[in-house]
Amino acid sequence: MRAGRIASAAAFTLPLLALLVLWEVVVRAFDVSPRVFPAIEPVVKAGIDSIADGSLIRHIGASLVRIALGTSIGILVAVPLGIAMGTNRAVSAFFTPLLRFFSVLAGIAWIPIATLWFGYGFGAITFVIFNAVFFVVAYNTLLGVTGIAMPLRHAALSLGATRRQLLTEVLLPGALPNIVTGIRTGLGFAWRGLIAAEMIATDVGLGYMLFVARDFYRTEVIVLGMIVIGALWLLIDRLLLAPLERATIERWGLVRAA
Amino acid sequence: MSAAVAISPWQRLWGAYVRGSARHPALASLVPFVPVIVLWAAVARSGIFPPVFFPGPVEVLRKFDTLMANGILPAYLEDSVVRLAAGTATGLALGIPLGLLIGMSDRAHRALWPALLFFQAIGDIAWLPILLIWFGFGLTTMIFVIVYTVLFPVVLNTVLGVRSVPLELHRAALSLGASKARVVWEVVLPGALPNIMTGLRNGLGFGWRALIAAEIIVGTSGIGFLMFDARRAGSVVEIMLGMIVLGVLWYIVDGWVLAPIERATGERWGLVTR
Repeated sequence: MRAGRIASAAAFTLPLLALLVLWEVVVRAFDVSPRVFPAIEPVVKAGIDSIADGSLIRHIGASLVRIALGTSIGILVAVPLGIAMGTNRAVSAFFTPLLRFFSVLAGIAWIPIATLWFGYGFGAITFVIFNAVFFVVAYNTLLGVTGIAMPLRHAALSLGATRRQLLTEVLLPGALPNIVTGIRTGLGFAWRGLIAAEMIATDVGLGYMLFVARDFYRTEVIVLGMIVIGALWLLIDRLLLAPLERATIERWGLVRAA
Repeated sequence: MSAAVAISPWQRLWGAYVRGSARHPALASLVPFVPVIVLWAAVARSGIFPPVFFPGPVEVLRKFDTLMANGILPAYLEDSVVRLAAGTATGLALGIPLGLLIGMSDRAHRALWPALLFFQAIGDIAWLPILLIWFGFGLTTMIFVIVYTVLFPVVLNTVLGVRSVPLELHRAALSLGASKARVVWEVVLPGALPNIMTGLRNGLGFGWRALIAAEIIVGTSGIGFLMFDARRAGSVVEIMLGMIVLGVLWYIVDGWVLAPIERATGERWGLVTR
């Protein structure tokens, strides 16, 4: 079992190592200018330097705080609203096109107006993340609640469930797989929105770090930032979102199929 | 109707809407916007927010008229749509063959899959700074970003689709004397098509946002640029107009292009995957 796991981990990392070797070989063989693409060594050095002077940690911290705050507010507002809109068939039919319209705009399209309303900085960026998550999660919650078969609701009610029990025992569990899918999609949009917004509207954060490096043609910092952004997203996706999705679908997936 | 229960005009209106939208589905996707626009106008008129920060629908409509008349909006719209179309087409042309390759060959899967996941995680927008160094502020940069965005969902979903085609179908086709190329063309590709469509839809959803971000940052033309240029000038009217145009445009792309294709593939090929 353990040997199998190590083997599969090796099978996964080997191609990435090959990619690293290819990178170094290409940069050396073609003598690529460091203003176009850096070699591995300067990137590692940029990484060590920026950790030593604390700037990398500061940028990562700022980005993560923004995304955590915007996402949690978004989820906290969107889920109750989505459920409230989904309880009545006609009401949900009324709100569906509205939510679809706004979830299309969610995220990056709000950057210009957010920066005007809140000024450049923390408020505007958190707002962009909030609405990227909010509309997508609300829309998916609505879809989830409307997808719950009417007989299930009637059954619960006729067995004497109170409205509160209906909410916690039928509606919420039934919609949960959709809610989690919504969170995953919304966070994907939010992550991109974060990077874009930080390039435009702030003086700290990963997007800002990349964009400033561009001004000075410091490609090693840009590549370092890209690797950090990729690694962070992989961590968020694998350690947070995928397990959450698996857990809800395993535990509650059957409720929907019934 | 008993006299004891008074029915308010609002309930009457709601009843009429529910009946009307059941008869004409088109109403159901338009009428909900009416109260939103009325509310928007009321809030704008009330003066809670300064009108410069929160203009009403009338101002936005007037701006639409001006920008249509002087040709800025049609020109920018065309730029954005052309970029999106070119980027998406290139993304599909690269993504589908790559997906077929990875889906059908174990060796290709082993070699490329980890890199694919990693590059997908980096995300399109993080490429913008280095692309600006490579290609400058121009069309290549924007198309590159869109291709990059569309590529990954298409590849990942194509692989999923290829793997969902039952092995018996391969074998049946082969034992009936089909060549390898024919198996790909007549079994694998049609079987994967519904998944490819899902990939295209996801890819467009992300590609669309990437386009807006690229236009804001690259800043030469397009709806994203219109909005950000307006932001610099402090014109909320133009920003709101840009957002509405984007939303309507997506509705059109979704309703007139994606949904019909999806329906057609589902109807024609949907059974194959089962």
